[in-house]
Amino acid sequence: MFEEEQVAFFLASRLITRGNKGTILLTVMIIAMVFVNLIFLPSIITGIVVLFNQQSIDYSYGNLVIEPKENQLVITNVGELLQKINRVPGIVASTPRYTSAATIVYKGKSTTPLLIAINPDDEKQVLKIHTKIISGNYLNDDDTGQILIGTTLAGNKDQKVDVTPTLGGVDVGKTVEVTFSNGVTRPYRIKGIIASSQFSVDASAFITRTDLESVLGTTDTANQIMVRTQKTGNENAMRITLMQYGIQEKIWTWQDKSADFLKSIVGSFDIINVISTIVSLVIAVVVIFIVIFINTVYRRKQIGILQAIGIDRAIIIKSYIFQALFIFASGTAAGCTLLFILLQYLTSSPLVFPGGPVAPVLEPMLLVRAIASLFVVSLIAGFLPSWLTTREDILSAIRG
Amino acid sequence: MIRGSSLTRIYGRGSVEVRALDGVDISIQKGEFVGITGASGSGKSTLLHLLGLLDRPTSGSLVIDGVEVASLNERQRTLFRLNRLGYVFQDYALVPELTAEENIYLPSKVRGMSAKECTLTCRDMLSLVGLRDRVSFLPGELSGGEQQRVAIARALINRPAILLADEPCANLDTRNSTLILELIRKLNKELNQTVVMVSHEEWHRKYFDRVIVMQDGKIIADGDSTQKTG
Repeated sequence: MFEEEQVAFFLASRLITRGNKGTILLTVMIIAMVFVNLIFLPSIITGIVVLFNQQSIDYSYGNLVIEPKENQLVITNVGELLQKINRVPGIVASTPRYTSAATIVYKGKSTTPLLIAINPDDEKQVLKIHTKIISGNYLNDDDTGQILIGTTLAGNKDQKVDVTPTLGGVDVGKTVEVTFSNGVTRPYRIKGIIASSQFSVDASAFITRTDLESVLGTTDTANQIMVRTQKTGNENAMRITLMQYGIQEKIWTWQDKSADFLKSIVGSFDIINVISTIVSLVIAVVVIFIVIFINTVYRRKQIGILQAIGIDRAIIIKSYIFQALFIFASGTAAGCTLLFILLQYLTSSPLVFPGGPVAPVLEPMLLVRAIASLFVVSLIAGFLPSWLTTREDILSAIRG
Repeated sequence: MIRGSSLTRIYGRGSVEVRALDGVDISIQKGEFVGITGASGSGKSTLLHLLGLLDRPTSGSLVIDGVEVASLNERQRTLFRLNRLGYVFQDYALVPELTAEENIYLPSKVRGMSAKECTLTCRDMLSLVGLRDRVSFLPGELSGGEQQRVAIARALINRPAILLADEPCANLDTRNSTLILELIRKLNKELNQTVVMVSHEEWHRKYFDRVIVMQDGKIIADGDSTQKTG
């Protein structure tokens, strides 16, 4: 059983160990590079997606977002609702927000950012904005007349570097004038500047909910409640659980909220990734094909003689397939080593992207897909040239 | 052992048709050492290629060792070559990456012989051709005569019914040619090995039991080696 394979393997092993080692080594290195290329870009893309996902959870939405019921503009009886939510198993914390438009003026410079009213202590349990204060301090629950400004909104003294309307480089301790949607204008002292690398945060302003309710004359209302769950990834199940616990408001997962944004990012990266993968695989096919093809053409006469002494064509083809698989296996092993070193380096020194530091994320499926695709192209690149050469009739091959 | 009737081989088509073999009848008995001679283009190699199942006759019938070989498919022909024929080429045709021993036992490995059996048989063969001390030498480390002796051992490893040799001394000097011819003669006598050998050297005749002389694709003489032919 498997005599043919044993002979093919025997032939392949001798041709590799006693053949041109330089050629084999060079080919293996090329396949190693192809393997790294197959994994590296997708793992960076995955790293970016993971970063965006984590940032969406940590700075924008939490795990779940609760919004007013159909045909309602605000959530009422927020305190009662928060208690109800926080009692649900699997929920860590929840925080209400009241988001409205406002005009902020500083030294004649005016802009209309999103003004987000928060319960600072509750926010700390759900989001991580409080960890991103680069100047000044975070808000306290009982603060009035104090405002947090995102770094993009604060802007630069040299406004040429600002890409959006800003307050022209306002600092902590300065006072800005805020005009609310109901026309009320109040002075606010800047308590802190936030730099979270999330545009939606860095281009916004934050005051306490108590402060906003005193301006708008509302009590215990919000238009969003952010919820932090114990586990990330089971948001859909938690949404159903919340509904079962009698939450009648609309419940969104962070994926729902960031779907369009992520889709456009992932979609664009996928196109780059597909092109890169195709190019890598074509390089792998061409390199292995050329090496095996040159090898078989160079040994055309020898192949003819082997057939003449009774070595079946299938054995000869299999011996070249084994050689291609050796190149694949060695190239993959060398590629894995290179990749491991590269990933170790990039994990300790992540790439800095506008959204934050990105470390490559190696998903097992990506590894399996890269190995499988290289295996298939190696099979093809080993089979095709040997099949073509052994098709020739024996006498023509022997005559060279 | 071999019986060919009206063997014809035509190359090309239409106006460029070449009749390399033209209705040859041939019969070779077991244990004979037959030399096929003739000028270049006489058809001697074409005849050997047909006997070695490296080519198919355009017409005619060929029975080797009781098998009508013309009706065999490619796979059966390969198996027939492996099991019943031994072939020696003029340029030794060894695999350069295999040692003398590995080159010899390659055909027996294909037959499914165990590694131990392969090694033992192979060492016997190397002793038979006088190269017992060259077991682990690569072809590049052997002289032309030694390489040809390894090729002969490889041809005999599966105990073939017929040994076919296509000008095995063409690339050798007289001393090595004599060694090879004496070796083949010895194998023929001691093992009762049927041998068919193509040669264009007049002085090789003395080693043959029988000489077939060819010209223009036809046998023009067939007799024992002492007879004056051609």
